[in-house]
Amino acid sequence: MTKTPQTVPATNTAPAPQQTGPASPYLPTEALVTRAAKLTEKERLFALALLNGQNPNHTQYPVAVESTRPSGIAPNAGSTLNYLPGQFYMVGLPGYGEAPFSVASPLGASEGLELCIRAVGNLTNAIHRVPKGGRLWIRGPFGTGFDAASMKGRDVVFIAGGIGIVPMRSLIKTIVGNPGYGRLSLIYGTKSPDDLLFSGEMTEWSKAGLRAFVTIDKPAKGWSGNVGVVTTLMAKLDIDPVRTTAVIIGPPVMYKFVIMNLRKAGMRDEDILVSLERRMKCGLGKCGHCQINGVYACQCGPVFKLSDLHGLPEAL
Amino acid sequence: MKFITKTGLKALVTGLIRDYKVYGTVKKDGFPAYGEITDAKQLVLLQTPTHLSAKGFVFPERETLLRFNMEDGSHKPVVEAADQVIIGLHACDIHAMLLMDRVFAYGAPDANYLARRAKTLVIGTDCMPDEHCFCQSIGTMHATEGFDLFLHQTKNGFAIDVGTKRGAAILRKYTKAVTAAASEIRNMEAFEKKRAGSFKTRLDAPAAALPAIYARSDASPVWDRIGSICYGCGSCNNVCPTCYCFDVRDEPAANLKQGERVRVWDACTLEEFALVAGGHNFRKPRGARLRHRFNRKFRYLTDVFNAPFCVGCGRCIRTCLVNINIAEVTNELIAEDAKRGIIDETVRTKKAER
Ligand SMILES: Cc1cc2nc3c(=O)[nH]c(=O)nc-3n(C[C@H](O)[C@H](O)[C@H](O)COP(=O)(O)OP(=O)(O)OC[C@H]3O[C@@H](n4cnc5c(N)ncnc54)[C@H](O)[C@@H]3O)c2cc1C
Ligand code: SF4
Ligand code: SF4
Ligand code: FES
Repeated sequence: MTKTPQTVPATNTAPAPQQTGPASPYLPTEALVTRAAKLTEKERLFALALLNGQNPNHTQYPVAVESTRPSGIAPNAGSTLNYLPGQFYMVGLPGYGEAPFSVASPLGASEGLELCIRAVGNLTNAIHRVPKGGRLWIRGPFGTGFDAASMKGRDVVFIAGGIGIVPMRSLIKTIVGNPGYGRLSLIYGTKSPDDLLFSGEMTEWSKAGLRAFVTIDKPAKGWSGNVGVVTTLMAKLDIDPVRTTAVIIGPPVMYKFVIMNLRKAGMRDEDILVSLERRMKCGLGKCGHCQINGVYACQCGPVFKLSDLHGLPEAL
Repeated sequence: MKFITKTGLKALVTGLIRDYKVYGTVKKDGFPAYGEITDAKQLVLLQTPTHLSAKGFVFPERETLLRFNMEDGSHKPVVEAADQVIIGLHACDIHAMLLMDRVFAYGAPDANYLARRAKTLVIGTDCMPDEHCFCQSIGTMHATEGFDLFLHQTKNGFAIDVGTKRGAAILRKYTKAVTAAASEIRNMEAFEKKRAGSFKTRLDAPAAALPAIYARSDASPVWDRIGSICYGCGSCNNVCPTCYCFDVRDEPAANLKQGERVRVWDACTLEEFALVAGGHNFRKPRGARLRHRFNRKFRYLTDVFNAPFCVGCGRCIRTCLVNINIAEVTNELIAEDAKRGIIDETVRTKKAER
């Protein structure tokens, strides 16, 4: 049964006396699956709504990491759907555990929170079996996100590899179709045509002004588009380094080469944003799994300015 | 300063056993360890560190965070804490627990740890370094807070530092303490003097210089060398009083109806610690994993909490099957750094003092 910690006399050894003790930061919030759609053989898209609306008990604690790097906000009790593109949730199913998943829907989406989940293991396969009307349990949002408003007036280059398109979609949908942005371009690479995600939406984004370049790693039957890694398309971007912000999200091997090309095009590290994946077990800056040298990716990331990663050789 | 006789301590422990779960240092099959004390006779105040630290009493190896029902989807937070007393922590162990207190209180406070800690009474005791202790070099040789009572063994009994009101209360309740006589205090001071001169392991730079030295040592050949002999077994993490990385996982009951979300100790020296979906391992070489562990002790966490996270207990050194020695490695890094000619000002001062 649930025991609440009892009050003990204040001493100078014990941490600050707790009246009832803080709420467990591990308690997830129940979410209803309002839509579940197959995207590819391995990926499904889920839309979630909170069953009890926004949780009124939601408290946010600023993270006490004293760093020049931006620090995230750790939700403690209850979760909300007030997320930023680039942030993530811990999503769980009782009996199968929980794992981090990026927000796939745009800022202020009316359809609630969307997640795009690739089946790779125990939990993700179990989530795939959850139908519309079923439930998932979430904690979050966690970490740093993209500040889309700060990109107004600038050209934005989105470079996504593989499942990196999921958080990128959240940012793209927040920006594309809205006034005030400069030239918007996307390079998206996957292993094969079968792995392409959101190709239907990409047509809409193009209509709304996004230049989209898609590439696959190896030639495939019926594919007339570009073949090769994402960097092969970068020359087409014709970057104006002064007025461009670049966003990179992809598999670990992708970053170095893309960054090399962006720097060659004259871009400054301050204008390059990356989202870095790490193993994550808590989202609270404690379990240690997500550390990049001394920095907790779950709190100070996953979104970083490249210039904030200087001195962190484990980052890229 | 208070004083109790040996019989007085027996009375204190016997009294505590009546009202609390009491754990203390014992000899288990001849080895120094913590164990439950159900009779005051079992307590053996040890002068050298136990094999495992006392962290498990506030941060158990496995603890339940939630109980869930897989049928109706309900989740209940579990915060379990019982009144307990731990007897026999040394100054380094007390410093370690103070660091853990800060770790689990910062950011989103950890309900489970804080509840346990609030219900834990700590009775410290003095010690004599063995060949691997180096708390003197770290500055964790004496504890001035973090305990309820601290026992200094003297010729006739124990001179006692009272750290908290709770400590004063149990002393009053269970035993008869008098003001320590000058001779007992002299006795204690003589012991401390002998102790201060008994350290065989030393760091060649002050703790304050270590973050900068470690920051310059990422490319040191030391990492490959120790990585080539390390088993990646995680024992050093397990025995360390300030290693707190953990895994969170679900344990469904056999009926597949209920279950628990539990947190269990994890270890950054284990191979899969930084592995992600897709098979990429961000810290695959064992040397990189050891570099990470040592940097957490002397740099990464120090940058956040402004204190070294190694308390110099020497446990990881004693437990390592291949004799990887955090003090020796640190001294090697200090020496390499000095060779590079970037001697930290603090190192220079310390050298000059010698
Ligand atoms: C910030 C972030 C955002 C992510 N966003 C998405 C997303 O939008 N869509 C998506 O499909 N996946 C995403 N992932 C990856 C996702 O978390 C893993 O696929 C998931 O943890 C696998 O769980 P599993 O139980 O199904 O697999 P397991 O059977 O546990 O393991 C399969 C693989 O996943 C790795 N893994 C296990 N646990 C974790 C963990 N907690 N964090 C990272 N890797 C882990 C293992 O090392 C193994 O290689 C994201 C990861 C991070 C860190
Ligand atoms: S350093 Fe020693 S104890 Fe630690 S993982 Fe390596 S072999 Fe095991
Ligand atoms: S790193 Fe080793 S010596 Fe330092 S506190 Fe941990 S176990 Fe003790
Ligand atoms: S996910 Fe646990 S510390 Fe970042």
